[in-house]
Parts: sequence; C-alpha cells; structure tokens
Amino acid sequence: MTSDSTLPDIVSSVAPPSGGVNHNLQVRFKNEEGKLLLILPAETETSSSSSWADIWQQLKQRLNAGDRFWQPNTTVHLAAADRLLDGRQLQAVAEALGEVQLTLKRVYTSRRQTAVAAATAGYSVEQQTPSALNQPLTSSVPLAEPLYLQMAVRSGVEIRHSGTVILVGDINPGGIVVANGDILVWGRLRGIAHAGADGNSKCLIMALQMEPTQLRIADYVARAPTTQLTQVYPEIAHVTPEGIRISIAADFSKSQFLSS
Amino acid sequence: MSRIIVTTSGKGGVGKTTVTANLGMALARLGRKVALVDADFGLRNLDLLLGLENRVVYTTVEVLAGECRLEQALVKDKREPGLVLLPAAQNRTKDAVNPEQMQQLVNSLTESYDYVVIDSPAGIEMGFKNAIAGAKEALIVTTPEIAAVRDADRVVGLLEAEGIKKIHLIVNRLRPAMVQVNDMMSVEDVQEILAIPIIGVVPEDERVIVSTNRGEPLVLSENPSLAGKAFDNIARRLEGQTVEFIDLHPTHDNFFTRIRKLLSSII
Ligand SMILES: Nc1ncnc2c1ncn2[C@@H]1O[C@H](COP(=O)(O)OP(=O)(O)OP(=O)(O)O)[C@@H](O)[C@H]1O
Ligand SMILES: [Mg+2]
Repeated sequence: MTSDSTLPDIVSSVAPPSGGVNHNLQVRFKNEEGKLLLILPAETETSSSSSWADIWQQLKQRLNAGDRFWQPNTTVHLAAADRLLDGRQLQAVAEALGEVQLTLKRVYTSRRQTAVAAATAGYSVEQQTPSALNQPLTSSVPLAEPLYLQMAVRSGVEIRHSGTVILVGDINPGGIVVANGDILVWGRLRGIAHAGADGNSKCLIMALQMEPTQLRIADYVARAPTTQLTQVYPEIAHVTPEGIRISIAADFSKSQFLSS
Repeated sequence: MSRIIVTTSGKGGVGKTTVTANLGMALARLGRKVALVDADFGLRNLDLLLGLENRVVYTTVEVLAGECRLEQALVKDKREPGLVLLPAAQNRTKDAVNPEQMQQLVNSLTESYDYVVIDSPAGIEMGFKNAIAGAKEALIVTTPEIAAVRDADRVVGLLEAEGIKKIHLIVNRLRPAMVQVNDMMSVEDVQEILAIPIIGVVPEDERVIVSTNRGEPLVLSENPSLAGKAFDNIARRLEGQTVEFIDLHPTHDNFFTRIRKLLSSII
C-alpha cells in the first residue's frame, strides 16, 4: 500500500464557516507561579449565546477532563473579566473546584457587582486583570499552549482552542474539535475535526481510528469515505496540492522526511 | 439510602415512559417501595401506562403551590401496594416548575421510598432540566437508530456535566433479525459510541403496545413476553443481582418461535 490512502470524496476547498479560534471564547486554565488561573471568556467578546449555562458546562468538562494537571490543594484565582457573577454562581464555581481539590481564593473582575458578590462570599477581590492577561491580543498571537483533554467529545459538544488539542478519547458523531494548531486524537475520530482553523494549512489531524464525518484543515474540507473501514491503522490527515489526504501514520513521517 | 433515577433519552418516543412504568412495577414486585415521578409536564402519560389515570386528583403543580400535601397527590397503585405515582399537570406548561422545586420534591420522596424514578420528557430544554434536577443516577433509553443514539450521546454529555456519573444504557425495540442482516445497529454498535455500561436490552414486542393500551405494565403478565422479562431483568440488575442477558439472536429458530418456546416452558 502506498503512503496515501486517499479520501474518495474530496470536496473542493470551501472556506469553512468558522475563522480562527478566538483566544477568549473558552473557559481556560493557566498555570502561573504555583497557582492556577481560571479564565472566563469576557462577556463583551462572546455572543449572547455564551450564557452562564455554556460557561458552566465548559468548566465542568475542563475539570472532568484535566484532573491530573494540578496538584491537590492548589489555589485558584478566578479571572472573571467583565462577566457578571452573582453569589450563587461564585459558590457553584467554588464547589466545582472543591470537588477536584482546588481552592478558590481570589477573584479578578472589572464589574462592581461581581466584586461585591465575591467579597461578600469571603474571597479576596481585585478589580483588575492578572498580569498574565494584560498582554494585548493582536492578530498575530502565537499559538496557545496545547490543550490536553481526557474525555469523550460527545454529540453536541464543541471544543475550541487557539493551540493544539490533544484528546485521549473519542470524538463521537456530532462532536466537534476546532484548533488553531494540530489535533491529535488518541481514540476514534467520528465527528468533525478542524485543524489550523486560523488558516495554517500545515496543520495535521491524527487519529488512532480515522472515521470522521468531516475533516477540515485551514480552508480545506474533506468528507469521510462512505465505505466501511476494514482495517484500522493510526492515520494522519494533511493538506497536499490535491486537497486533504490521509496517510497511514507509520508511513507519514517517512514521506515527509523524504520530500523535505 | 434511597436511589433517585431519571429515565431520559434526548429523542422522543424511544420508550422512556414504557421503561419507567415497567421498571417501577418490577421493583415494587421485588418488594421495594417505589415512587414514580412524571416530569413530562403538559404531556403526561405515565398515569395512562400504569392504568391510574382515573385516580389522579392532584399533581406536582398543586403540591408546589401548597394547595395539597405531597402525600395527597401520590396515587397508590391498585395492584402493588409499594408503588405510587406523582402525576404531572396536564394543563400547565413546563415553566410552572423549576429545577430547585423539583429537587426538593424528589428529595422529600426519598424519606419514604427506596426508589424514586423520574420519567423525563424528550428534548434537552427546561423540562429535561427539571427532570434531572434531583437525580443521582440516570437510565439512558435509546433505540438502535443513528438519530436516537446521537441524541442519547448528547444527553450523556449533559448529565456528566451536571455531575450525574452513574449512567446506564437501555437499548429498546431491538429487532434481532434486522441486526443479523445488517439492517439495524447492534447493541455493540450502540455501546461503542455511548461508552456507558448496559443494563438492559428490550426487544421490539407488539405486546408492549397492547399493554400500553390496557394500562397494564408487561411485567404484570402471567406469561411474560421477552420484553416483559427484559424489563424485569433491568429491575434485578438495578438491585445488584447478576442476571444473564436474554439471548435474542435468532440462531436456528426465529424470534417468534423462541417466544413460543419460552411460553410453553413456563406453562
Ligand atoms: N419494546 C417495544 N416494542 C414495541 N413497541 C414499543 C416498545 N417500547 C416502546 N414502544 C412503543 O413506542 C411508543 C413510545 O413509547 P413511550 O411513550 O414509552 O416513549 P417515550 O420515550 O416516553 O416518548 P416521549 O418522548 O413522547 O415521552 C409507544 O407507543 C410504545 O408502546
Ligand atoms: Mg414519555
């Protein structure tokens, strides 16, 4: 078998609906000098659809998926930006963190009401953003650190990250992962993966079992073959002059090496 | 400790209410005290399936409005003394109730019942949120169809985000003959996507429809059909018993001769 087992149904290069991933659309964790920063997307930057319910679901997913990346009893600083949080929501966040042995200590906010709610609940409050977030976001932001997730991306779940996504688990039909970097799926890819979402066509999508509904790399789109897989190899999707192609992973590095 | 279980699916019409009614009856027959809660406000029919429609006086809404006590609203089953139903209001919308109220209500039921089983409406909107509010575990019902499995997967994700981690799968309306010729997803196909432990497989069975119309859960029947047996097995597995899964594969004889065999062996 040659290195390129191609997708039969290649769709022409259509610009996919989503542009790159905005840094600030997702609930993120960031390690900073022995403490953990929990960063909520700013209210002004998210559409109205990014409600508390969405934020809450994302937070729970992050907490369920990444639990071995922090030590027990790590202190968490919540960067709530301009988001309005009431006492009950703050308490819910603190409880969710508590379930994985994280302790909420400090709240950064630019909203007076949130500050009051946080102070009432006994957290220390700062009415400005932490230093790490002060770097302005220009259009040429470097890729964020890889996002490591151990979970099933189930139907209706959408993971967006402005760097590379490493997923230990499956992307189920109806699930979607969008990354500005590469997407590595240590599992079965049956939903949609979009790598290089801000335009980098050198990005790759890798999966132990590649049965996607659709693959996108930068502006390229490919549909899955309609034929059933008979043998399963780890595979890598990449952009060639003919569009997106899928190669057996074991052959891919070799071919890249020879062609360079 | 009492168990609070929600029966849910995402997609409509896959058998949630049928499962809830039969499971409630089967658990009661195993000697448990069971409260079934109809959380499908506006479209109630758990009372119909249980044949209790004409005994409904008060509903959840009156309880929450303080117009009656909780015990007054509970409809006692005429056949199984351990079984009661908390009916849903038929004439009010889903907005008449909120998740906090449901949680309180369900919790107060745990004082007197071993099992509280909540029948969820289809969808993932407010009615669904009400239904899962107090639940500690979930039964996901799906049929072996792509759309149903897709919705079930979505619901599993939502339940996990809500911290409900004890989730079991019931595959309903399986047609072994169709699976055999690759015209239907197999139980394994469904499980591969959902990746949650399976607690029951219920075959397609026209006696389910007959029993629905009569208001007599299948598990009550003298000669239980395969579906009735399957419901009973789910109840036993919930109780912690190890029960073999019924072999539904049509090997030498077809499905219907199997049922007949089963019947004659009981008689
Ligand atoms: N195993 C089965 N074999 C045959 N028919 C079945 C089976 N299970 C359910 N049905 C039928 O499917 C229909 C829908 O069942 P049911 O009302 O329990 O679904 P539901 O999930 O509660 O629906 P809804 O979403 O509207 O609440 C009913 O007519 C019922 O009799
Ligand atoms: Mg129903």
